[in-house]
Amino acid sequence: MFEFLSYGFMQRAFLGSTLIALSCSVIGVFAVLRGVTFIGAGTAHAAFAGVAFAFLMGFPPFLMALLFGLSTVWVTSYVQEKGRMKPDVSIGVFYTFTMALAILFIGLMQGYRPEIYGYLFGSILSVTKGDLIIIFGLSLGILGLLALFFKEFHFISFDQEMAEASGIPAKRLSFLLLNLISLSVVIALKAVGAILVFALLVIPAAAAQQWAKNMRSMMIYSAIIGVSSSWSGVLLSYWLDVPSGATIVLIAASIFVLSVLFSGKGKI
Amino acid sequence: MSLPGEPSLTRRPIIKFSNASFAYNNHFALEKITLNLHEGEFVGVIGPNGSGKTTLLKALLGLIYPNEGSLQIFDCACEALRCRHRARIGYLPQKERTDPNYPITVQEVAMMGRYGAIGLFKRPTRGDREIVLESLDAVNMADKQKKAFGHLSGGEQQRVLIARALSQRPEILLLDEPTTGIDASTQRRLSELICRLHQKYSLTIVFVTHDINMISPIAETLIVLKNRLHAIGRPEEILTKEILSPVYGEEVIVAERDQRPYIIVHDTHNHV
Repeated sequence: MFEFLSYGFMQRAFLGSTLIALSCSVIGVFAVLRGVTFIGAGTAHAAFAGVAFAFLMGFPPFLMALLFGLSTVWVTSYVQEKGRMKPDVSIGVFYTFTMALAILFIGLMQGYRPEIYGYLFGSILSVTKGDLIIIFGLSLGILGLLALFFKEFHFISFDQEMAEASGIPAKRLSFLLLNLISLSVVIALKAVGAILVFALLVIPAAAAQQWAKNMRSMMIYSAIIGVSSSWSGVLLSYWLDVPSGATIVLIAASIFVLSVLFSGKGKI
Repeated sequence: MSLPGEPSLTRRPIIKFSNASFAYNNHFALEKITLNLHEGEFVGVIGPNGSGKTTLLKALLGLIYPNEGSLQIFDCACEALRCRHRARIGYLPQKERTDPNYPITVQEVAMMGRYGAIGLFKRPTRGDREIVLESLDAVNMADKQKKAFGHLSGGEQQRVLIARALSQRPEILLLDEPTTGIDASTQRRLSELICRLHQKYSLTIVFVTHDINMISPIAETLIVLKNRLHAIGRPEEILTKEILSPVYGEEVIVAERDQRPYIIVHDTHNHV
């Protein structure tokens, strides 16, 4: 029954999806509590534009995805710092602008490039050894920084102004946190796809919030929900021959709905 | 404008505004403020909406700096006040500022008050946990330390936030409308608690409120703001029609209740 685990691509899919689910679902807790989940959606679409640009120019796709994805945070933080507009507005503008760029870049390409659509819809089963090394290194970095600044991130998520007044470098740490959220989305892009990666950031954390009494338990629940959705999604997509990204998200969404209905906390 | 003069206190000035102005987008929220607040003084700050009360607090918290003039806290220019000194200033924000759905326990909220003193890369020690427990005990919330913060009543949440401020071991405690949105009896208990803590820890208190009748019996000094320093003095010097009507309008009534001045203001916030 488990002979599929002897296949290299399945091993990579399991390992990759575990790391991606862990980093997205754990950092998703901060994104949900700070109310900055939209930065994840903005990053995903900007990163996709980066991939399209890379294919057009012959650059490495991951590097361009990283550059375009993180620029969402840099641009919106700059605009907010200048007090020009709220972040949801600037992310909304940047999101659609980069998506238009992506469509333009695809239009400018010579011939049909099917691999680019892999980044749009995601394919965990196509994760290569090289991808896995990048995913491993960056996930470890994200989780390490989260552990290092846990108490500060916790404080700024609860009350940023108070954290700043207490002498914590709240603005700089808040910027770091946004970059980490964005980075988690970029590393998950190829496996889950630009359209669905946002779900991996939001859904496990939102489901976990229905049950959690404190931050630590919310992180643990979110990680369990994220990883178990990914594993069952990978398995189902293999057995039923259906798209992996969509299966993962649908399982996570089902857990979310059950959590809202049965936790007793999330009465709508 | 009338300035009856500062109370003749022999205590050391701990906060000094010298001709300080604070602006947002080229608009002055507070202009040319000169005043000293003293060690252990209980100061009430009143004024209508938009009179600069919150700006004054933000300045004391180091969230904004003066565009003109200077502000000194602990004999140090506010711009140069380092982290460990910032931790000497406790702050109780307005109630609505905190998210009731945030998954956090009472103990965790109170512990946040220690984070500035603990510093980056370090974890709370046993000593920090003892300080937090002592602070929760001071506000009678020690028995609820494991409870979810979001499940507490409004008054209890405010007490926990006071404990968070006390966990900093502050010398100055800033309070921003702490009694807004809380029922009358809880309001009374909360202000009694603040008075007790003022005595117990010899705190310098800056209490910003729109509720003149609540603050006047407990404050030693009242400051009236109207984008400038309109008046400063002892409550009995301040609560006169001559001083209050230029700020609150001619309709302001200075009555008497229980041998104390009782102010009736035609303001949506103030109930008769």
